[in-house]
Amino acid sequence: MNVLTANRLIDGEVVFWAHGRWVERFGEAERFGDDAPGGSAEAHAKSQPTVVVEPYLIEIAETEDGFAPVSYRERIRALGPTNTPHHGKQAEGGHDVEVIARAEGAARSGGRINLIKRK
Amino acid sequence: MYRYDALDKEFLADRVSEFRHQVGRRLAGEMTEDQFKPLRLMNGLYLQLHAYMLRIAIPYGTLSAAQMRTLAHVARTYDKGYGHFTTRQNLQFHWIKLRDAADILEDLARADLHAIQTSGNCIRNVTADPHAGATAEEVDDPRVWAEVIRQWSTLHPEFSFLPRKFKIAVTASARDRTAAKTHDIGLQLRRGRDGSLGFEVMVGGGLGRTPYIGQTIREHLPVGRILSYLEAILRVYNRHGRRDNIYKARIKILVAQLGAEEFTRQVEAEWAQIDGGRIDLPDTELARVRGYFAAADFETLPAVSKAFEAARAADPALARFARNNVHAHKTPGYAIVDVSLKTPGETPGDASAEQMDLLADLAERYSLGEIRVTHEQNLVLPHVKLDDLAALHATLAGAGLASPNISLISDIIACPGLDYCALANARAIPIAQAIAERFAQPDLAEKIGELKIKISGCINACGHHHVGHIGILGVDKKGEEFYQLTLGGSGAEDAEVGKILGPALPANRVAGAVDDLVEVYLRERREGERFLDTFRRTGLQPFKDAVYVTAH
Amino acid sequence: MSQLIRREAGGFILADDRFTAVADDEPVPEGDVIVSFARFQAEGEALAAHGRDVGVRVEADESVDDLAYDLPRTSVVALMFPAVVALVFPKFRDGRAFTSARLLRERYAFTGEVRAVGDVLREQAGFMVRCGFDAFEPADGSTPEQWAAAANRFRHVYQRAADDREPAFAERDGASIGGNHGLRRV
Repeated sequence: MNVLTANRLIDGEVVFWAHGRWVERFGEAERFGDDAPGGSAEAHAKSQPTVVVEPYLIEIAETEDGFAPVSYRERIRALGPTNTPHHGKQAEGGHDVEVIARAEGAARSGGRINLIKRK
Repeated sequence: MYRYDALDKEFLADRVSEFRHQVGRRLAGEMTEDQFKPLRLMNGLYLQLHAYMLRIAIPYGTLSAAQMRTLAHVARTYDKGYGHFTTRQNLQFHWIKLRDAADILEDLARADLHAIQTSGNCIRNVTADPHAGATAEEVDDPRVWAEVIRQWSTLHPEFSFLPRKFKIAVTASARDRTAAKTHDIGLQLRRGRDGSLGFEVMVGGGLGRTPYIGQTIREHLPVGRILSYLEAILRVYNRHGRRDNIYKARIKILVAQLGAEEFTRQVEAEWAQIDGGRIDLPDTELARVRGYFAAADFETLPAVSKAFEAARAADPALARFARNNVHAHKTPGYAIVDVSLKTPGETPGDASAEQMDLLADLAERYSLGEIRVTHEQNLVLPHVKLDDLAALHATLAGAGLASPNISLISDIIACPGLDYCALANARAIPIAQAIAERFAQPDLAEKIGELKIKISGCINACGHHHVGHIGILGVDKKGEEFYQLTLGGSGAEDAEVGKILGPALPANRVAGAVDDLVEVYLRERREGERFLDTFRRTGLQPFKDAVYVTAH
Repeated sequence: MSQLIRREAGGFILADDRFTAVADDEPVPEGDVIVSFARFQAEGEALAAHGRDVGVRVEADESVDDLAYDLPRTSVVALMFPAVVALVFPKFRDGRAFTSARLLRERYAFTGEVRAVGDVLREQAGFMVRCGFDAFEPADGSTPEQWAAAANRFRHVYQRAADDREPAFAERDGASIGGNHGLRRV
């Protein structure tokens, strides 16, 4: 399962694709399964160079009560830095934040590796 | 310190105007991100995990009180109320918006601050000894030369699109507080046999994927020829540095590939053809720059301050602070005070806007208006009267800025790591916090003595882990954070790259491993030996056994 | 005829490009041509003998040092010809052509046209002019006015290069003598 993410050009904010709009909360992101891959959303996002920078797909996994990115890096992007609870999206709280914060284990997410290779 | 005149201020204004224009073109879609990226990097603006990061230049780590207040203003107005001091004597803000960037640069310019060339494939901030102008150890004030090089390298039209970044450090004491030997060019000021001032020129040092110690290509370059000589080095690099592979593009790779002898030959051949009369500075300009670094107005004071001696006899905390954070000044009655930004449990190198404002006040009150930044993410008040030490210490303590741990185990260098940085593989800050908290007890820290731990969240080595007495490198093992330890590195004049201890450890074992290493040191050490000295005598084995063999 | 931006009389103009760029495997047409370095070395003199102006295209990994003639071998001043040297920017951030341009001007006293070709973008115009480029084939559709605006952004510079701009410290010297030497730029 995947989610499409990027950073917003104007302010660098982490954003996620949700049915043609960009949202700031991971919990509101559109989830792409194997049957509905995110490739066309990614292509669409790449055609918006004045809106977002470097959109890419990240892998997510289902947990008992929600979804979370599989890699630490993407969890940190979705939550905020771990050295303080007051900065980043985690400060706003909410169910999706709690789910990610509780997520266990980690694995590499394809998105970032593909970015590095593409460069 | 150098003071901008009308010309310098106009230069900054033009730069701000240029960047504002470039941002406008990017937002309007007239430039691609690929075309815009080097331009914003050359104004210190990175796109990181959560937001843009802005890296502000602090030339040779020297700040005025007014400049520190401006940094506090930017922290409060445009960021989240704090900043992070870096291993190149700069300051970073981690929550910047592109739409504010030009305004920020404009605010900075009012205090003669900028972010010019703090990133990008160009010549970066020239660093120098943070004790310059205060220590008796130096043969000359290295900042004079750092300023000369700074100006020459600013928007240098030939060298703004190098194969890769380029870092220069200048030091003038036998004890090197700049890690000069791990720079692309390290310049060591010395007097020649005839008493003349010259640079030992070292080229090809660097950390990162392939660490190298710089090699001396010239033992004694007369100081007045430094700019033409640098042009020769940069030209050889610009022409022949690799452009096909960013991991092999630094000058250290070129020097290693050609060999020091051939590299030197090429530089000297190029230098012979450069018209020094056009490039090197006339004596009048050298004198003008030097004038800004003339000795401050020190009072004539006795070498010993009775007030201070009494205060430290009465206050063990002040005594401990003096033991670890205070150094001899060249002028009787004065001292150099290191301000630790490594309170155990806090983020290494971070300072809040309130702390910055306080430090500005303290600099004005106690340090002739000057503050320095070290490459170990700490600050310095360089010109403090011994008479004032007690009062200064009390105020610092009230603001969480008096940790008496300079160069001790809890004075850890840690890059921002995976918590902030788009390049990172693992987090560095929580590892630093765990270690510092484990060894927070001041008696224990002092018992252990000098122990420089340096943590990097990825192989780019911004935390300088290669030259830590204990180095810690974060790696990604199938998505989990693991940490590779190295021992015996040094970034000082005895520069050396650390040796790998063993297989990488999971995050939750790192602080315990450091504990094991310290235990071996305390057990094995002889009189007067620091951790580094004991390691150099015993070698890796006892340390390796303690971490990997002894059952837990 | 295609056009390019040329630096003339302190400004930038759109000019006709009388040179045709010719690939190695193409026959050389009538009129002025720019050929590769290898072709220039092999056929340059012969082509010029037909009354053409011949220019040479120097790739980023080729050295302008190789253009300078051995002085003992010929009595002519090095680089009496080509008429134009086209320096390639394979990618705008490959800065080798900046060095090549400076050497052509400062070391080899080349007075012909030094042209920027390849991934040539207006944001680098200032650096190019300072390194001695006086002709530009922009890849980003820039006009001469836009090029001029980009090239003239900075009232002061801090170092000498191939142009005639005096560095800030020399400006100050001129000012301190009362400006009589006319060193300060208006």
